Amino acid sequence: MDSLKQNRMKGVNLIIIVLLSFGLFGFSPGKRDTVSKKNKNSIPDTGEMPVYGNWKTFTKKDGLPADKIYCVRVDGDRVLVGTSNGMAVYENGTWKTYSVKDGLAHKGVLSIDVSEITGDVWIGTLGGLTRWSSGSFHTFTQLNSGLPNDIIYSVICDGKDVWVATGGGAGHYDTYSDQWDIYMERNAPMHEPWTYGVCAGDSKIFIAAWGGGVIEFNTKTKKFRDYVDPDEQMELDVFPDDGVVHDITTGVSYAKGILWVGTYFGLSWYDGAHWKSYFDHDSGLLSNFINYLKADGNVAWMCTDKGLSSFNGKTWVSYQKNETGKTGKIIVTKGPRIAEGAKTKEVAATSSICHNFVLGIDFNDNEIWVATSKGLCRGEKIK
Amino acid sequence: MMKKRKLFFLLLIIVVIVIGFSIGPARKKARQHVNYMTAVDDHPLNCLSCHLYTQRSGFLAKMINASYLSPYNLAVAPNGEKLFVVAQEGNALLTIDTKTNRVVDKIAVGTQPHTVLISKDGTRAFVSNEWDDTVYIIDLGTSEITDTIKTGNGPAGMVLCNNETTLYVVNSFSNEISIFDLNTKKERKRLVAGNNPVGAALSPDGKQIYISSRRILPHKYRTPISIEITVIDTKTERVTERKILNDAYLSENVSFTPEGDLAIATLIRPKNLIPSIQVEQGFMMTYGIAVMETKKNGRIVQLLTDQPNSYCSDPFDIVITPDGKKAFVSSSGADIITVIDLTKVRKLLAESSSEQLKQYANNLGVSSKYVIKRISTGANPKGMKASPDGKYIYVAERLNDKISVINTETLDIERTIDLGGPKRITVARKGRRLFNNAGHTFQKQYACYTCHPDVGEDGLVYNMAGVGMGRNVTNTQTLRDIGDIAPYKWNGHNQSVYKQDGMRFSTFLTRTEPFAYDDLDALVAYIITGIKNPPNLRYNPTGKLTDAQERGKKIFYRTHTNDGKEIPPHNRCYTCHPPPDFTNKRLEDVGSLAETDDTIKFDTPQLNNLFNAGPYLHDGRAQTLEEIWTTYDHGDYHGVTSDMTKDQLNDMIEYLKSLRDAKFYENVNVEEEVKKYNAK
Repeated sequence: MDSLKQNRMKGVNLIIIVLLSFGLFGFSPGKRDTVSKKNKNSIPDTGEMPVYGNWKTFTKKDGLPADKIYCVRVDGDRVLVGTSNGMAVYENGTWKTYSVKDGLAHKGVLSIDVSEITGDVWIGTLGGLTRWSSGSFHTFTQLNSGLPNDIIYSVICDGKDVWVATGGGAGHYDTYSDQWDIYMERNAPMHEPWTYGVCAGDSKIFIAAWGGGVIEFNTKTKKFRDYVDPDEQMELDVFPDDGVVHDITTGVSYAKGILWVGTYFGLSWYDGAHWKSYFDHDSGLLSNFINYLKADGNVAWMCTDKGLSSFNGKTWVSYQKNETGKTGKIIVTKGPRIAEGAKTKEVAATSSICHNFVLGIDFNDNEIWVATSKGLCRGEKIK
Repeated sequence: MMKKRKLFFLLLIIVVIVIGFSIGPARKKARQHVNYMTAVDDHPLNCLSCHLYTQRSGFLAKMINASYLSPYNLAVAPNGEKLFVVAQEGNALLTIDTKTNRVVDKIAVGTQPHTVLISKDGTRAFVSNEWDDTVYIIDLGTSEITDTIKTGNGPAGMVLCNNETTLYVVNSFSNEISIFDLNTKKERKRLVAGNNPVGAALSPDGKQIYISSRRILPHKYRTPISIEITVIDTKTERVTERKILNDAYLSENVSFTPEGDLAIATLIRPKNLIPSIQVEQGFMMTYGIAVMETKKNGRIVQLLTDQPNSYCSDPFDIVITPDGKKAFVSSSGADIITVIDLTKVRKLLAESSSEQLKQYANNLGVSSKYVIKRISTGANPKGMKASPDGKYIYVAERLNDKISVINTETLDIERTIDLGGPKRITVARKGRRLFNNAGHTFQKQYACYTCHPDVGEDGLVYNMAGVGMGRNVTNTQTLRDIGDIAPYKWNGHNQSVYKQDGMRFSTFLTRTEPFAYDDLDALVAYIITGIKNPPNLRYNPTGKLTDAQERGKKIFYRTHTNDGKEIPPHNRCYTCHPPPDFTNKRLEDVGSLAETDDTIKFDTPQLNNLFNAGPYLHDGRAQTLEEIWTTYDHGDYHGVTSDMTKDQLNDMIEYLKSLRDAKFYENVNVEEEVKKYNAK
């Protein structure tokens, strides 16, 4: 019980730190630049790992409604961006902003997903869930619908189903039957109702439950199981690779049979049978403080407080902005962990991500979009 | 011998009753009873009018009522030789030979069929069964149902496209469009439509589908209303646009011009934000069409089909002739077909400024510029179709069991096809015709049906006060299955439907002469006997509750709060909302009195089929069931709910959504339910 209380306190403190951090970091937007030929050639062989450069930054000066970017979602030819002051849509080279007066539930847009079936855009905000469908906004709140809570940290579409991770539990909305289900500590193996991330894959829903590790919901059997930190230690991971590194989980992503779990204490990888843990001190991970992560095929992208890391199980490629100026560096670590012989090499880059406090990413064919606490940036695949 | 004796005693009893009611104290009692029930002192003293014609079941009910066909929508064979008619209450698809004008086949279909489509080769029919959640595919060669497709809730309008490999079905109750692959008969996806979508039309180039909808979109309380026309791209199978028709509702159908440059939808423009006393000044309800340019950023112009002092109420279908010159609108509440010259409409659009076009939506005189004829029909004209050569328009006269055939050149009804329904008009049928006809309202402004479409409710809030204008606004209530739940009206002032629809009706609503008593008797007979709730197939298809609904039921019948405190009996859900009707038929205070309300209690509403009856509370301020407790009950006046967690509230609402018609709960014993759900 005491450990649960400590756990909760720790969680609250960390959230405060995250929120404060948004306002503390400075930022100087840079013009479009390119990685020099010399630098490009100096990037070590990364195998199948893609490398991005030629970063371009977008801020309020470019038409965004705010510089605090919480999330980004690529939808075909357009890019949907959640900011602290509404949702911005980048299409045909111009930005258009949608705000509360247009029908958005709240100006703080934390998460966006697009239904592959209908094309409807589901927008998780600090004040409810909005469905944006061909120009029409419809808002679900905890007062007018079965939505568990108005603070939506994460929203995903899984076929006809919409899942949300909220401050009051995970919510499941069946768009066909119009029914909401709420999953929280009373009916699911969670310590408390605070959920932070949700993803879907292979008929399973994975929920990053604050203080409760990862909750797996099998959509066929309707059964739950949980993955918690086996060593029950808050400050250190006693036994490597024994399970999820920490019970305070911040994000989950599932691709190609691998579940990636982000925490504020490191990264976990799970293939259904074995767990692996990665930390900033023993691998190419830039920071244990993972705000968000997303797996794309074999590669997982970790958005941390010290930059952006990517990893495919063999090689790490990280992107970090230098403290001053617009330049940055690309850090390549060949090998999963130092203990396994990993070697790191840094390459200077003439352009970089716009800020090291990274909150979200998404991709299209040759581009990566990165949401940070001071701007949105777009990188081109250079390798 | 025994038989003769029984017959003798029966006759004796009848004679005694007749004499008793003709003279003496029994007559006085009967007079008092009739005066009380009708709220007048001169209603004829005729026991039969109330006690015979309002019978709902049993031998007498069967004897006095009849099973009508009620043609609703229709389709024409590609060669024009056959007409296929959906008989909404006959639950049948009728085939008519257009040469002999005779019904040549009758195929049994599902419950309350809505629409029929015929394949291009004329071999297959597709029938949507609105109360069965199915589409039947029928082999017209054998009259056999070859496939049954499971749809969303309330399948209505349909479209065949992509070389008839894809079927779009409008789910009218669940507000979606289902897309089916006809090769596999599997549903590919569902798209969100407007509120209560019904009609569907494919553009001539096959690239777009327009879906009309009836009920209004969510909006801020007591602000102007709007509805949606949903536009779908047939290539991507996604909604590409949601066109908004402002100040309008009940758009039943939509149709394209042959050129595809215009789509035209029927609509009603209600003036529900002003007191209904306005009817006396005219212009309370107006009727017309929305002309939508289909090009990008095309204009939407609303044009009325009414004329000053005479309205064309409740437009239902719109058909455009193959040459694109004329549009026919069935004005179902006025028993007319309004003929519109589309060349004149195009001219008007070309010559008018945007400001003028905006004003036309409220101009009763402008119809003289484009309405070229109003053709009288039989009772309640609904669906229409043009013959392939464009020479005829076939009109389904729903409450006449006939099809009228209009010559598109002479604009006269050339002939009428009798579908073979019952020849006699029962009292309830007469009442139904009155219900659907606007003839009894000042300047024919609206019918009962206008605010009670399908005898439910239109989802609007009205101020029907004769005095104290602007006060006591009320949410339209359903008229389905209300025979046993007197009193009526939100303030419970009406002890019977007779009073509700009698003098009061003409004073506050129709602003004309009250119904003649035989008409009133017929109207009451229809309302009391004839109106079922649709089955609750979305939330309770089998009668077996889901886990969430079962948990919600436990909350509904609970006697103690989460922390073990006893809930006062008067503040338990089941006390005021006991089955089978889920009303105690009493006036209650649930803390919902508004500043604009007189200090009164409110009639406890029934909860059967309430899942599609929003908005809620007496003045419609709660747009969803959740809002009743999360937003508008701050003191546990409306039951004790403040101790409940969000998931418990969700469960309770899931249970409430599961409620079906009263008949399903006839044998429920409340005490047993309370005992069962409060057992340790």
